[in-house]
Amino acid sequence: MADTAGQKLAARAGAGLRLSPGAALTALPWMVTALFVLAALLAPWLAPHDPVTGRAAPMQQMFSDGHLLGTDALGRDTLSRLLHGLRPMLVVSLGAVALALAAGGAYGLVSGTAGGRTDWAMMRAVDILMSFPLILAAILVLAALGPSLLNVTLAVAVSQLPIFARLARALAAGEAARDYVLAARAAGFPEWHVMLREVAPNIARPLLVQATSVVALAALTAAALSYLGLGVRPPAPDLGYMVKEGQELLFIAPEQALLPGLLIAVFALAVSFCGDQLADAERRGGAA
Amino acid sequence: MIAEIARRLAFLPVTLFVVATLVFLALRALPGSTVDMLASSFSTAGLRDQLIAQLGLDQPLWKQYLIYMGELVRGDLGRSFITGRDVATMVGETLPVTIELAVASLVVMMVVGLGMGLAAAARPGSLLDGALRFIAMALFALPWFWFGILMIVVFSLWLGWLPAFGRLPSSVTYEPVTNFVLIDAILTGRPDLIGPWLAHLTLPALTVGLTTAGMLMRLARAGVIETGRLDFVRTARMKGVAPGRVFFRHVLRNAALGILTVIGLQFGAMLGGSVVAEVVFGYPGIGRMMVDAVLTRDYAVAQGAALVLAVLYVLVNLVTDLAYRWADPRLRREPGR
Repeated sequence: MADTAGQKLAARAGAGLRLSPGAALTALPWMVTALFVLAALLAPWLAPHDPVTGRAAPMQQMFSDGHLLGTDALGRDTLSRLLHGLRPMLVVSLGAVALALAAGGAYGLVSGTAGGRTDWAMMRAVDILMSFPLILAAILVLAALGPSLLNVTLAVAVSQLPIFARLARALAAGEAARDYVLAARAAGFPEWHVMLREVAPNIARPLLVQATSVVALAALTAAALSYLGLGVRPPAPDLGYMVKEGQELLFIAPEQALLPGLLIAVFALAVSFCGDQLADAERRGGAA
Repeated sequence: MIAEIARRLAFLPVTLFVVATLVFLALRALPGSTVDMLASSFSTAGLRDQLIAQLGLDQPLWKQYLIYMGELVRGDLGRSFITGRDVATMVGETLPVTIELAVASLVVMMVVGLGMGLAAAARPGSLLDGALRFIAMALFALPWFWFGILMIVVFSLWLGWLPAFGRLPSSVTYEPVTNFVLIDAILTGRPDLIGPWLAHLTLPALTVGLTTAGMLMRLARAGVIETGRLDFVRTARMKGVAPGRVFFRHVLRNAALGILTVIGLQFGAMLGGSVVAEVVFGYPGIGRMMVDAVLTRDYAVAQGAALVLAVLYVLVNLVTDLAYRWADPRLRREPGR
């Protein structure tokens, strides 16, 4: 689904002259997202300077010679740090959602298909995980594991686990009540076969759609954790941490804090719109 | 209904017990590091051991856990490893600050979210609807901490209208009684506190309130539009009920339930958002206390703060859920899930 919608949109966007304003608006979030991914992938070649070691004069203003967006307090090129900072944002948000989708999806699949007491116990465990505000759960995970890129990914994944576990459980329980599952069980197939071969393929699509809609949330949570000082260790470039560093210079150079945050916001907005389009398509597909 | 309340309340201690255990385990995963931080200045082995014994970190994990649980039952949250202050006292000072901020944020969220949602639902598909939906999406996608900084830049730095940091200016003497400024102002006859307090509260509350308003707007809009399509609304229109009356007495009244639930559930998001907002605005609430404690590995403080926040969250969700069931007669008759 994700592919076909993307391809259709890409094809429509590629139609060039026949591009209608509506189609352009539809394609825009996908193009912005693609731009972010490209910029992150090509950061080492696009960045004009080294993002970690500062060799220039500190606190240069925007549009100064050789430093389009100026330099920070340590003489590091802001543009280069922004470009490299895209990488942890993408890695963490996509990685965390993939992890949460896999683990939460599997958990919900087992719970919903099994039913009965197993289901009840498994869902109460999720209720307890839900009894923490999401960001609090993530902060606790990081407090236990210590700050690193992998641990931020794990922390964000844990905070999103309940979303997928609950959705997968509801979908699986719905499928488990259907005749084809009854037939598979009556035919004597083992329970793992019923889960993986019968139920799983039928709940995969809505789960993937849900995954797209929470990428933005993952990016925002990860950025907030970095901002709080619990994420990537300096001097590695990271957008959330750049906002924190920039805040200390707010009265001299507000752009140092505002630019990295703007990038996070644009990325989150773009992926939110992508997720919305897929969810709309899924709803229409479900109704038909 | 009564059985449902009883069932939920009976489950409450179980939830709290597991929450307390999880918090304990999460923060004891690296037990040596507080001591390492404290002892870095005097590195003799003897002093280090003495410190470990003093903090009770030389006990086996299960014994530490039993001590912790025993103290917890008696309402003792322990002492800060670093300042030696009583954690329960620290919570008493900082929790009211966070509750003030969460309630103020809730007010902002309700006014903005409901206003936008109802305005958009009045004419679905119109230009106004499209614009409001875009704004809602944008508000949702804003990083909270960055939005806070943007507000500081605009309203403190450029316009100079509002203070950017803290809860009260240092020039004001404030002797807390309940630690809720508004209540204290009334109790101790200090109306002069209210102005500066509100000025400091405005930017953090706007930050948390506006970034959560997007979600409420979308749900309020969807709720009103869906209810408007139901048969009884059509019947009301066919009877010739005035459009305003149809909207307020029929549509809004029935959509209100779902909307109220969302507001209650968003209160949890407010607590999370206030953690970040408190750090941005140097606001002395329990969220900032917890983050500082995690950064300095002051387990007792981090544990106490996390526990109190989680308990508050559980209670708010429970009350919301029960209020929802109480308000909707259809759910009152149905047996529990």
